[in-house]
Amino acid sequence: MLAIALLAFVTFQAAVMGDASGAPQPSFLARHRQIDVSGLAPVIILLLVAVILLGATLYPAYRMQIRPYLEAHQLMRANGAFEVKEHFAALALLAMPAYWAAWRRPLAPAYGPARRMLTWLIAGMVWWNFIVGHIINYISGVLS
Amino acid sequence: MKETLPARAMLFSMAAMIVYTIAEYDNWSFLRYYLLGGFSFGARGGEAGHFILWYGWVATAALAGLVIAALAPKKLLARLPADLVWMVMIAAILAVAVYEKRWFA
Repeated sequence: MLAIALLAFVTFQAAVMGDASGAPQPSFLARHRQIDVSGLAPVIILLLVAVILLGATLYPAYRMQIRPYLEAHQLMRANGAFEVKEHFAALALLAMPAYWAAWRRPLAPAYGPARRMLTWLIAGMVWWNFIVGHIINYISGVLS
Repeated sequence: MKETLPARAMLFSMAAMIVYTIAEYDNWSFLRYYLLGGFSFGARGGEAGHFILWYGWVATAALAGLVIAALAPKKLLARLPADLVWMVMIAAILAVAVYEKRWFA
């Protein structure tokens, strides 16, 4: 549930943040696209940290039970996708202070591009981790 | 300290992501998790079995980021371009892709 909430919030923020510069938008459409999603940032930080901490507690079980199966059955791509997932989890976690600074109110115009790019990159990583997590879950369900 | 906090947070993330990438490539880790024995500072003997370095990579990166961000002079923080943080993140993602491409060959 936490992972789904994180996915929903970060996707929504990335989709509707507009140019995230904090500056007034000139056109009618741009103004309507500019919903204030800065309030989501603390929630996203909390959810991301919680999801990664929960994942970190489950990681040894994956290494003992699922990874040996993936290796034994030559499921190299599934194994590799999980390796990428663990790196993405680490990078997203380490990026949280910068993400917090970028979304800190009042929004600093100088942080606009960083805010936009960090949000997109983190959203992409969250999607990757969610999809790979489900694939690995499916594989582990098939083996049990 | 309070007025430089956002810039220090940016610097923390940049430094930590760079150190994480180096730690991952060179297996720098002061902390290991042994599947049969739990956490350990440094390496145990060969009979200790399989271990996970990921926790150690994250801890090493976070610690290095914390030290660098705390010690950075105000002059450097004032000049630090915020855009560098997402460039570092993209570089780290590319480094991950290069490192892990062995699984997809």
